Amino acid sequence: MSNLNMQTGSVVPKYDPQNPYAYPAFMPSSADSSRRSFHVDDFPVPTVKSEEWKYAPLEKMGSFFMPYDASGETAINIAYSDGSTLDDHVHLHRVTRQELEDDPDSSFIPVDRVSVLGWNAAPQLYKIIITGTLPSALVVTVTSASLSLDSLHLFFTIEKRSQANIIIQHHGQGRLSESIDIRVKDYSTASFAFIQQGDKESQYLCSQRLTVGENARLNHSVITLSGDIARIRMDADFSGANGYLNMLGVYFADHGEYFEHRPYIVHNYPSCTSRVIYKGALNGIDTKSAWVGNALILPQAVGTDSYELNRNLLLTSEAKAESEPQLEIECGDIVGAGHASSIGHFDQEQLYYMESRGIPENIAKKLIIRGFFKELFDEIGILDLGDQLLHIIDTRLEHEE
Amino acid sequence: MSVLTIRDLQAGVKTDTGYKEILKQVNLTIKSGEIHAIMGPNGSGKSTLAYTLAGHPKYEVQAGTATIDDQDILSMTPDERSLAGLFLAMQYPVEIPGVSVSNFLRTAVTQHQGEAPKLREWVGTLNASMKRLKMDPKFAQRSLNDGFSGGEKKRAEILQLEMLKPKFVILDETDSGLDVDALRIVSEGVNRAHEENNCGILLITHYTRILKYIKPDFVHVFADGHIIKTGGPELADQLEDTGYDQYLPEGESESALA
Repeated sequence: MSNLNMQTGSVVPKYDPQNPYAYPAFMPSSADSSRRSFHVDDFPVPTVKSEEWKYAPLEKMGSFFMPYDASGETAINIAYSDGSTLDDHVHLHRVTRQELEDDPDSSFIPVDRVSVLGWNAAPQLYKIIITGTLPSALVVTVTSASLSLDSLHLFFTIEKRSQANIIIQHHGQGRLSESIDIRVKDYSTASFAFIQQGDKESQYLCSQRLTVGENARLNHSVITLSGDIARIRMDADFSGANGYLNMLGVYFADHGEYFEHRPYIVHNYPSCTSRVIYKGALNGIDTKSAWVGNALILPQAVGTDSYELNRNLLLTSEAKAESEPQLEIECGDIVGAGHASSIGHFDQEQLYYMESRGIPENIAKKLIIRGFFKELFDEIGILDLGDQLLHIIDTRLEHEE
Repeated sequence: MSVLTIRDLQAGVKTDTGYKEILKQVNLTIKSGEIHAIMGPNGSGKSTLAYTLAGHPKYEVQAGTATIDDQDILSMTPDERSLAGLFLAMQYPVEIPGVSVSNFLRTAVTQHQGEAPKLREWVGTLNASMKRLKMDPKFAQRSLNDGFSGGEKKRAEILQLEMLKPKFVILDETDSGLDVDALRIVSEGVNRAHEENNCGILLITHYTRILKYIKPDFVHVFADGHIIKTGGPELADQLEDTGYDQYLPEGESESALA
């Protein structure tokens, strides 16, 4: 007790960057530094030193960082998966930037230079309102036609007590800056699957804002299968208690491709749950992936349950994966917060086991890759989408040696 | 009629500190239909013998031969050994997430038969075999060994044995971790495969209790990397009474090693 200097009165703790754990409550939170703005000047041109862009091949992406006139050549098609015509469960509006900025349901504000430039340039902005239970999955097909830069904004509102399965697939050859805003209102359940199957030279940069309402559930799947570059940043939070956010991701990159996924979740309401599971396989030479996940649990988010996981299977020694699971816990009264990450080659014991049953090594490897993805496809929960995706993987594996 | 012949087999493992010899001059001949039990203390090299024969990359052969009829199995890859008729039921079967029991086995059977079995017949055969092993039909769709209990893993091994119909079966401590009911079901499966396919069996075990269900024609005592005594079933009874201590180097005992 003699060490305490009572004469000087109470000491006001101060954050010391040299010793951040001295007063954990004063550690800077990513929420403090994350900038959101409609002004391009608020975001400098990314460099290799920018934390958010340090893994990306910036030299190939320069045109996304400077103001541009969007080509408007991207084709959008919206239809039910069973071929039936759209009914009054789906309301599709072409809207203006001003209308979206004034829309109380929209919480989209650009988070980086690419998304603000995309927003400023976007010739096509859509608001899609879903009410009630969709009779069939809604399929939004986004087809790029040329390599001229284009930009697109899609805003989905899932009204209260609704249920929707929505597939958004990207095809074609193009350079697209896309922003997606999803609001799942109270007591609703929505399953979204984003499928990236761009042609060889396609570049796809996407910024998503996800908002999950009270007692609502969002199942969010990202399946990135091809393209020169695909980078998807997702900023998710809640607008009420007891929300459930389930995020699944699969990426399968080949020769020279670069895929990056950044799921950021802010727990800002009590008793919400988030699950993030991303799995990737990388094949070929000069293939690269990056995964950066973050869960920020704010002081008010009592009873939070969060978990994030990223696994990477390197099929060749020339492929490279980066994996950064982060966790910021500012609340002491939570159910759980966990993260895990791995990057590795084939498990030799698994290969041996299969070979010892007469299965040659190359077939055993294909079975392991297929199984690696199948586990997640089984979880997507939109009709037979998992089977369709597995079929795509099977076809790709058949053609590989 | 086939013969598995092991002659002067010397093998070991590569470790960080260099090569470590485990098998010292193993000699053994097993003919179709014969059941051989190999019994011995922990650490004597019984499992090394099993994995060396089945081609696990961890083990290195220094000298000697192992053949099935006139085929040299030691020069084969593990999958070639399987196609040559060798099957190792492992003590610790490996978990393979996302690969169903059914898909895995159908892929393996396709390799053995040279063509994919017809789907309807395949499902029928698999279900019949699973039923005999008292396995739930849903089992076929579960990921291989993923989250299986110890007993389920061993049953899955025997299921593979029934489907692949090998000429020679090595059972590596298949009895370990099984309760009495599971031990009986698994043993019945082995006996069925033995009866139907007249396979030769090499049963590796530490305990005699599995020998109540699977009756060996020959019992070999294995210690310090080789077979030091061979006899009939009566040798197992003897071991039950006296233990392995007499076969260990002076001053060591099984309980001290454990």
